[in-house]
Amino acid sequence: MMAGIPLSFAQPLLLLGLLSLPVLWWLLRVMPPRPRRIEFPPTRLLFDIRPREETPSRTPWWLTALRLAAAALVILAAAGPIWNPQTGVGGSNAPLVILLDDGWSAAASWDTRIRAADELIANADNDRRGVALVPLSEPARDITLMPAGTARVALRQISPKPHSIDRVDTLGALDRFLKATGDAEIAWLSDGVDTGRGAEFVENLAKTIGDRKLTLFEGGAAPAQALVAAENAAAKMTVKVLRTTGGVAAGVVRAIDAKGSPIGEARYAFGMQDRESEAAFDLPVELRNDISRLEISGERSAGAVQLLDKRWRRRAVGVVTGATSDTAQPLLASTFYLTRALSPFADVRLGDRGAPQQVIAQFLDQRLPMIVLADVGTLSPEIRERLNAWIDQGGVLIRFAGPRLAQADDDLVPVKLRRGGRTLGGSLTWEKPQHLASFAADAPFAGLAVPKDVTVNRQVLAEPDAVLATKTWASLEDGTPLVTGEHRGRGIVSLFHVGADSRWSDLPMSGSFVEMLRRLVDMSGYTTKPGAGVAAEATNVETVAPLRTLDGFGAFGPPPSAAKPMPADYRDRATAEHPPGFYGPADGPIAVNTLASADRIAPLDTSSLRAQRASYTNAEPRDLRGILLSSSLVLFLIDAVVVAMLGAGLAALWRRRTAAATVLLALILVAASIVPSPTRAQSNDEFAIKAVSQTRLAYVVTGNADVDSIVKAGMAGLTLFLAQRTALETGDPVGIDPTKDELAFFPLIYWPVVPGAPKPPQDAINRIAAYMKQGGTVLFDTRDAVEAPPGENGASQTPGMRTLREILSSLDVPELEPVPREHVLTKTFYLLRDFPGRFTSGQTWVETLPREDDDDAASRPARGGDGVSPIIITSNDLAGAWAHRPDGQPMLPLTPNEPRQREFAFRSGVNIVMYILTGNYKADLVHMPALLERLGQ
Amino acid sequence: MAAETSHENREIVAIRRADGESRTLAASLPRLVLDARRIAANVIHGLHGRRRAGAGESFWQYRRFVSGEPSQNVDWRRSARDDHLYVREQEWEAAHTIWLWPDRSPSMAFASKGARDSKLERGLIVTFALAELLVSGGERVGIPGLMTPTASRNVIDKMAQAMLHDDAVRASLPPSFVPSALAEIVVLSDFWSPMSEIRTMLAGLSASGAHGTLIQVVDPAEETFPYAGRIEFVEPEGFGVITAGRAESWAGDYVARVALHRDEIRSETNRLDWLFSTHTTSRSAAELLLFLHSGMMAAKGSARGSTVKAGRSA
Repeated sequence: MMAGIPLSFAQPLLLLGLLSLPVLWWLLRVMPPRPRRIEFPPTRLLFDIRPREETPSRTPWWLTALRLAAAALVILAAAGPIWNPQTGVGGSNAPLVILLDDGWSAAASWDTRIRAADELIANADNDRRGVALVPLSEPARDITLMPAGTARVALRQISPKPHSIDRVDTLGALDRFLKATGDAEIAWLSDGVDTGRGAEFVENLAKTIGDRKLTLFEGGAAPAQALVAAENAAAKMTVKVLRTTGGVAAGVVRAIDAKGSPIGEARYAFGMQDRESEAAFDLPVELRNDISRLEISGERSAGAVQLLDKRWRRRAVGVVTGATSDTAQPLLASTFYLTRALSPFADVRLGDRGAPQQVIAQFLDQRLPMIVLADVGTLSPEIRERLNAWIDQGGVLIRFAGPRLAQADDDLVPVKLRRGGRTLGGSLTWEKPQHLASFAADAPFAGLAVPKDVTVNRQVLAEPDAVLATKTWASLEDGTPLVTGEHRGRGIVSLFHVGADSRWSDLPMSGSFVEMLRRLVDMSGYTTKPGAGVAAEATNVETVAPLRTLDGFGAFGPPPSAAKPMPADYRDRATAEHPPGFYGPADGPIAVNTLASADRIAPLDTSSLRAQRASYTNAEPRDLRGILLSSSLVLFLIDAVVVAMLGAGLAALWRRRTAAATVLLALILVAASIVPSPTRAQSNDEFAIKAVSQTRLAYVVTGNADVDSIVKAGMAGLTLFLAQRTALETGDPVGIDPTKDELAFFPLIYWPVVPGAPKPPQDAINRIAAYMKQGGTVLFDTRDAVEAPPGENGASQTPGMRTLREILSSLDVPELEPVPREHVLTKTFYLLRDFPGRFTSGQTWVETLPREDDDDAASRPARGGDGVSPIIITSNDLAGAWAHRPDGQPMLPLTPNEPRQREFAFRSGVNIVMYILTGNYKADLVHMPALLERLGQ
Repeated sequence: MAAETSHENREIVAIRRADGESRTLAASLPRLVLDARRIAANVIHGLHGRRRAGAGESFWQYRRFVSGEPSQNVDWRRSARDDHLYVREQEWEAAHTIWLWPDRSPSMAFASKGARDSKLERGLIVTFALAELLVSGGERVGIPGLMTPTASRNVIDKMAQAMLHDDAVRASLPPSFVPSALAEIVVLSDFWSPMSEIRTMLAGLSASGAHGTLIQVVDPAEETFPYAGRIEFVEPEGFGVITAGRAESWAGDYVARVALHRDEIRSETNRLDWLFSTHTTSRSAAELLLFLHSGMMAAKGSARGSTVKAGRSA
């Protein structure tokens, strides 16, 4: 065994052969290589030169080194190297003490540890030494010396414990044993994981063993991994994976349901330095709720198992509000606070789309375990009965006070509420807001920090009676209850004496609100004791017996005899008394895990220990002779090739190779220049960058050169006009091809319809449809109003219109109407009556607005749909009117050339662009005076 | 056979390149030609017909014998016609024949890494350019054993054609022939042949009294020996193989050996009053051409004894 390397030699004396290598070096250096052959005309002169001493030229040093390496390999192979030789502690007659880490962290590589211990015992057996076996998990066990055979049997009986071990406790017994025995040799089979007090143990161990010989086994075995802090979050179930070592690693966490069938798998990965990673199960909540066990696949240890009980289940919570469904101020509604507070740990189902009665009935049909009624007043007797039955079966009903509750009168509250003809509907107004004083110690909120900043302005008051105190879960400074609750049947009824919004108190805005609701949600679904009041439950904490426990390898088994019942609210990590597993009734067990959710594992620092280090040899001893001999053979082959090449003239070969490389390079270059995709992708990127770096108007390139040049000039003219008259400075207009280019970058696409043009392919039509769905607007212009003025209802039968109809036939076009007088399009920038272009007789069509039949429709100055019309159709040839020549003169004459017709054509364009860019904001804007007046209240 | 074929191919390529490059080189050297003319006008022995009586091969005029002259100068045949003694004068000219020898052996095809041209290309370029220049200057140019001397304007084409259709073994050194005493010989080679062969060649060529220039065209690698490691050196013309264990340690000896070789050649040329220079292919061809031309002129003009060291010799 060489220092640090698991390598030994069967016949180390043969290694002396390595000393012959320098001689070999000299010999190899004097052996000349084959000469180069050179034609040299004055060779005859050379005949006359008698060489003084014919020193042969030297072999290149690297060739010699190659040959030497081959020779060294042969010598090494002859010495019989063995990788991973049998390790052993030996050399003395003192008894051997084996300290064995047998916590959960040792379980994953347990076989390796047992094998190492077995070898130690076997070596001790050979030396006729006694062995003391000390599992570090059992401080109470006495340490005795036994013969090797007995020790081997005892070793087989040790199994890893499913909990973290406290090594320090064993030191006392070890100290006593060592004092009694005197000389001893100690071997510690460490698992390298510090589960607490590791440093203390290392320090005290050094003191205890004094100057006795210590061999520390560490490394060489797979490091332990552990799972902690499983959390059923809003979107997914997450669990943290811990480890103690570095290095890149990845693995799979498996989720298993109560029956043992797999539900899902999630991958996790460690970075180079990470000690902590996370696996996330992205599963539907119903499936996630079925998970009862998470385990690291392939890691057999109790620490790699996370057991989940009902506390990890995400419950669906129905929230019903008695307020109207007017969501004018959604951030102030009670449902908003409740949703935000509940959603981290529960699935909130809002019932704000119907009457409270209907919603409650619906939730009851869905068998939700918990329903929150925020200020719901009167309930019909039928619903009340159903609610009562549901509570008896285990439902949790949480109510929040409010004006409606204060007026109502029902029995679905834990305490009797004070009624009366008070001005504020039975609620009381203090001059000074009250602070929250305390949470009842025996109630669900016990242990929560009392927030200092919560103030209550209004509340409903309970009638004082004898049981009020027992039903009070949280109270204010003046002693009045803030939260009351009681168990009814198997369920719970609880009342917050304030509203769930911020009007009566700022409790809903505090973090405590979330915690309180979490406690309540935790209670839903597993309140067990029928008929037990909160007080009764609190006085004697229920104990639950172990049902199934994990062994050290993470497998379920019957509880060991040492396992004791535990309090139902036990949330700590597992111990020897409370091994990890399920406790309590089979239908609703409580899980105890090896590690608590806040636990982290650290590597055990043994650097201060003065010890001989050994590593677990988890591999069989391997004879390296074959590898060495074959690699030396390879080296000799390389040597032969090199010699042949040197003889044949390395230079010539090299020249040929460079030529070949040049040809290859040229081929690659040619191939690279042929492959077009990168440039194509780049041009796409350039198009996108150009399109989005500035707002740009777009027009469809028709392929008809005349039309395209006019439209291009027209769009440029409109762009200029926009920059002159409005704050909008758009970039140069872009001509696009709907079959190829990305349309989503452009707010407006102007589409001149060329009569008789072929219909675009279906692919392009689909893209246009998607563009219109996503909020883009296409302005179709048939440009032929002068040829055929629109007939009945503005319909026309010009060739352009027919082509347009064909285009639109396969497009999902909404119902259209001529622009109504009060349409927002007529008011977005200029006040316009119609939308002239080069012609005035054409009709402009937009998406039909929903008719408003109420009376004030007539008085409203503008009507806008919820969105912007995705399509505008005109036949007035707008672009023709906008088009200017480079010298600023109009490109085309107008028909009938009314005064200021061109001006109005531009104004039409401005209005259209503004309409598209600002949408119904402009429609709202006309109500500005009214809005200001309303806000001023 | 394959090696020969590949060498032929290489030679053809080299000839084609040299054809074009030598024309541009020759065309880019008008200054050279002007210089040549200026120099020629100032020297007694020009390469051109002087239209004056002097040393020459062709007849110029008969003149009256002046007493005091050696009697052997009297042209008796003419003098027999009348009562006066006549002396036959030749036109003063040096209508020389220039023999150019570009070495086209396989060893010339060597080009080390980083060299712009192979030695063969460089040799051919300079040969062609020189031929063009000389022909345009009125000389006759030939290649021993391959092309008879010609003064044709398209001498480069003729040379190239002759080389392309030459199916003889490519020798390093020019074949043995007897040039006229006034002929000029320019040998462009790497001269890596053994000294004995070079000596034999020089003796043969200079026997008739002809003069010439030896230019050793070498590759930079042949100068500096930039080799390291274990290398087997092969003589391209099949004269043997030698293995250097550590080539880097040979460099010093090699450089010394090359210097010795050159000294031997130089001593031989000095003895024969020939010119010898070296040219490295890493340097420009124009430099060599300029050296050759000016060296040739200077050699004509000055005493034959001095060794002209123009241009850069390694």
